[in-house]
Amino acid sequence: MAVHQVESIVRSTSIEEAWDRRRREPHASRFLAGGVDLVLYAPPGVTTLIDLSGLGIDSVRRDGNDTVIGAMATLTDVLESPLVGKATDGFLPRVLQGIASPLQRNVATIGGAVVRAHPWSDVVPALLVLGARLDVFDGEERTVDLADARGRSEEPFPLVLAVRIPAAQKGVRAAFEKFSRTGFDVATLNCACSARMERGVCRDARIAIGGTPSVAQRLPRAEEALAGKSLTASVMAAVAQVAALEIDARDDRRATAVYRRRLAGVGVRRCLESLAGLGMEAKE
Amino acid sequence: MRIHVTVNGTGRTWEVAPGDTLLDVLRREGFAGVKKGCGTGDCGACTVLLNGRAVNACLVLAVKAEGGAVVTIEGIAQGGRLHPVQEAFLEAGAVQCGYCTPGMVLSAVSLLSHNPDPSEAEIREAISGNLCRCTGYVKQIAAVERAAARMRESR
Repeated sequence: MAVHQVESIVRSTSIEEAWDRRRREPHASRFLAGGVDLVLYAPPGVTTLIDLSGLGIDSVRRDGNDTVIGAMATLTDVLESPLVGKATDGFLPRVLQGIASPLQRNVATIGGAVVRAHPWSDVVPALLVLGARLDVFDGEERTVDLADARGRSEEPFPLVLAVRIPAAQKGVRAAFEKFSRTGFDVATLNCACSARMERGVCRDARIAIGGTPSVAQRLPRAEEALAGKSLTASVMAAVAQVAALEIDARDDRRATAVYRRRLAGVGVRRCLESLAGLGMEAKE
Repeated sequence: MRIHVTVNGTGRTWEVAPGDTLLDVLRREGFAGVKKGCGTGDCGACTVLLNGRAVNACLVLAVKAEGGAVVTIEGIAQGGRLHPVQEAFLEAGAVQCGYCTPGMVLSAVSLLSHNPDPSEAEIREAISGNLCRCTGYVKQIAAVERAAARMRESR
């Protein structure tokens, strides 16, 4: 359905020009990446779209030890990228494979997924446990932690240029779980965990849960409960219980808070079981 | 706004509103094989190829097709011969009311252009964004397998 409220589309040719336009019209403008979200959920009052197609930020490249995914890369570009596959041991491609359909993944961008960060986003928890950072521009180019960036309420949010994934250290494992019937469904809850296994114990544990119904956030208490521990059944059960209590669970039309806490515990336990037995693994 | 696109191999210049979707414009310009279903990217009836990839035309703003190549169901037969995927759909009885068929065929064409020998799981995944309310999916999957085999033989 046509987005009738849109009156103009600006085809930006430079990052500075795009940001300047966005900054001057913080309420009436939005950046246009793939556009899927804007067509479905055009924010009221937005009349100008700033198209980022011409900025040349759609490739995947290496930068030192980081894998840098241009914000305009589609989810298909990312899941088919050998660089991303190698950097995440196939974890991120497997998560993306379970999102929506190829028809949408061929259009939706990684930058759009990060900026919109819907509560049900599967992309955000996966990136959080990979320790992803964002290259952004808001008058100057800088790199910020994804976890920090998501907690801000800046308006306008800086222009995201790329998602930066650090090289996985030896022994890092990651797993993902979501509770939905198909990729098309909005997950009732999703969950990702990663840890570096060092002589049988977990280091650098990261646990993120989304759809609580808020967008995914790291769970510091659950991560602390896992740090330095072996993945025994009792540890996994204990960490799952901490996570279930730690999430900001609330009722909405999809599930009750009580049910979400139950799912969180099951999701974390399943992820940890994957970590105990496998390398980077994504399961639907 | 003015956009320049190649549709089924022919260059076109169209005046579009900034908020028009590719689906709106294609149907307005006479490409009625592009079906309008849900309008929210769920059904896949509006599937077209944009720069070689299958997309929901209802979720793509027309301006995003600027300078690009669009293929609709009207554009895949060559020289009066149906595309092998179209032939296979007919032979396998994968068509009933026909509303989902253009999108389903184009998703299959996109799959086979990137993966000439797909597994059944890969076929299911490729057409997962195309809903059929008549036939189920068994015959479409058989049709894609049949088309893939035929296309491999003809290479």
